[in-house]
Amino acid sequence: MLRTIKPKNARSKRALDARLPKEVEDPRTTVFVRGTHTGEVLNGVMRDLMALKRPHAIAFSKKNDIHPFDAASTSTASLEFWAGKNDASMFVIGQTTKKRPHGLTFVRMFDNRVLDMLEVGVESWVSMNDIKTPKSTPGHKPLMHFASDLFDTNPRFAQLKSMLVALFNGEVIDSICLAGLEYLISVSLAPSIPAPATMYPNLVTEDLSALPTIHLRTYTTRLLASGTRIPRVELTPMGPSLDMRLRRHTPADPELLKQAMRTPKLKKTDIEKGLGKKRKNIEVDEMGDVRGRVHIGKQDLGKLQTRKMKGLKGGDGEVEEQEQEGQDGDEEEQDGRKKKRRRESEEP
Amino acid sequence: MPFVKKLKSDAYYSRFQVKYRRRREGKTDYYARKRLVTQAKNKYNAPKYRLVVRFTNKDIIVQIVYARLQGDFVLTQAHSRELPRYGIKHGLTNWAAAYSTGLLCARRALTKLGLADKYEGVVEADGTLTMTEVLDEEDAPRPFKAFLDVGLRRTSTGSRVFGAMKGASDGGIFVPHSEKRFPGYDPESKELDAEVLKKYIFGGHVAEYMESLEEEDDERFKKQFATYLADGVGSEDIEDIYIGAHAAIREDPTFKPSDKSKDWKTESAKFRSKRLTHAQRQERIAAKIEKFKSGGGAAEEEDEDEE
Repeated sequence: MLRTIKPKNARSKRALDARLPKEVEDPRTTVFVRGTHTGEVLNGVMRDLMALKRPHAIAFSKKNDIHPFDAASTSTASLEFWAGKNDASMFVIGQTTKKRPHGLTFVRMFDNRVLDMLEVGVESWVSMNDIKTPKSTPGHKPLMHFASDLFDTNPRFAQLKSMLVALFNGEVIDSICLAGLEYLISVSLAPSIPAPATMYPNLVTEDLSALPTIHLRTYTTRLLASGTRIPRVELTPMGPSLDMRLRRHTPADPELLKQAMRTPKLKKTDIEKGLGKKRKNIEVDEMGDVRGRVHIGKQDLGKLQTRKMKGLKGGDGEVEEQEQEGQDGDEEEQDGRKKKRRRESEEP
Repeated sequence: MPFVKKLKSDAYYSRFQVKYRRRREGKTDYYARKRLVTQAKNKYNAPKYRLVVRFTNKDIIVQIVYARLQGDFVLTQAHSRELPRYGIKHGLTNWAAAYSTGLLCARRALTKLGLADKYEGVVEADGTLTMTEVLDEEDAPRPFKAFLDVGLRRTSTGSRVFGAMKGASDGGIFVPHSEKRFPGYDPESKELDAEVLKKYIFGGHVAEYMESLEEEDDERFKKQFATYLADGVGSEDIEDIYIGAHAAIREDPTFKPSDKSKDWKTESAKFRSKRLTHAQRQERIAAKIEKFKSGGGAAEEEDEDEE
């Protein structure tokens, strides 16, 4: 375990506070780890996945002796150590062995502890550079598409879906800019030949070869004029394209999962206030109406246009008239006050 | 030897991870880059452009750059070495040249985007802080927005980087900025002296120095402004040169490639040693062995010793 640091100044305190759990979490920082041996395919896959994940990606350039599914090893401890050091909540580990070639392991963390793990074997791969098409902007959120019922019914595929969503989702946003929907990740399954799809939920013995291959494809979107408000969308392959098969997995510990799934009850006022983001001068009253406050400059009373009076004009006026005017002025003042009061009551 | 505590252990070195290449070379500020390239959380997803300004010893480079997954792409660029075409023949790295290069880049970008007529910017520069604003007409395109990228330059008041930015801003690109770093800004009163800024835009500070040097030290004057004198440019002509150049840039900002009198590709290939193939290398080795055997080992070794 990492030693706990007591902040000595305001700057380090801010840095530590940024790492604390939040009501609305930051995008998952992902560490890409190379195992004892990776090989060309996995290096390429990890490089491309990292390109999609930037700027929330950290690459470990050295090889690491890590075997996440081996309970006897200290791998879990290392993962937890790295998670604490790098403020990372996800790992992608590449390892290729004779028994399990081109294995890609996704590890999800909760509270700096391993939540669940999932291994896939990469069967074929086309790199981003091999497809000579325009690419998307780094740091943009993808659209994600899962084309099979199995992603909802089969627990293995449901875990994969949730893992991929966690990997690519990025930060929580409350509105979408249409021009910013630049790319799409589509995950589909190959037709499963050996067994009908309905059998999967009841699958007792894990026969991995019976599970269909997963096709992960990425496309850039092009919004073209269609003559209506809704643009005509065309997709062009962007890369990387991956064909994968499911391998080993560790489901989430039910106790830990329960903790992880717990969403703090957000106060309604907090949501309205923009969840800690600065939203000045806007508030919601008990009736649920949004009220804004507008600040205007200081009023210069010297330039205030009052009733034009002869007496106030330059030069000496007659005393009589002045008196009359004075009375008039008094009335006027009272009127003005009344008006002012009325205006006050009119204000919402 | 005194006792030295070993601070960096094997564990340190085995775990040590080098920084990104461009960080190691000291060329990229990744902290700034992350923020310039990716969008802020709340304004998610709109495309983002950077106005990149870089200085070399003899040149100013202004580019409009956007990022993609595989790397950065340049939309348009302008160099100060193109300025002689517009009449600025001397001082291609000074503040006024930076302004002109920024202006050239902005006009070029807007011409390319078809916004040049709609966003003219500030045609007659007066040194006041002006931002390119959205047009009043309905369905008018919004201004082209780019953020200044200064790289690793120090952002001190009066820096030439902001000259290029002012040029681009006056050229009709919306570059969010404040007046704080312009020459003529007074930190005491927190006000910008528009006259000083205007002077810099039209090279007035160069003219002023030229004049003072001419009076004080004729020898240094002739050395410092040798090329100006050779062309018969005096301190009073400088402002007109810049006024003319700005108008010429607005007239025709398109890029004209210089005529290549020499085919530099073949020219430089002449001096490049070509990599040998495997067969050729083997042949060379065989020849060396042959020579060694025929001449006798001892003689060869002596030769090498002498060398």
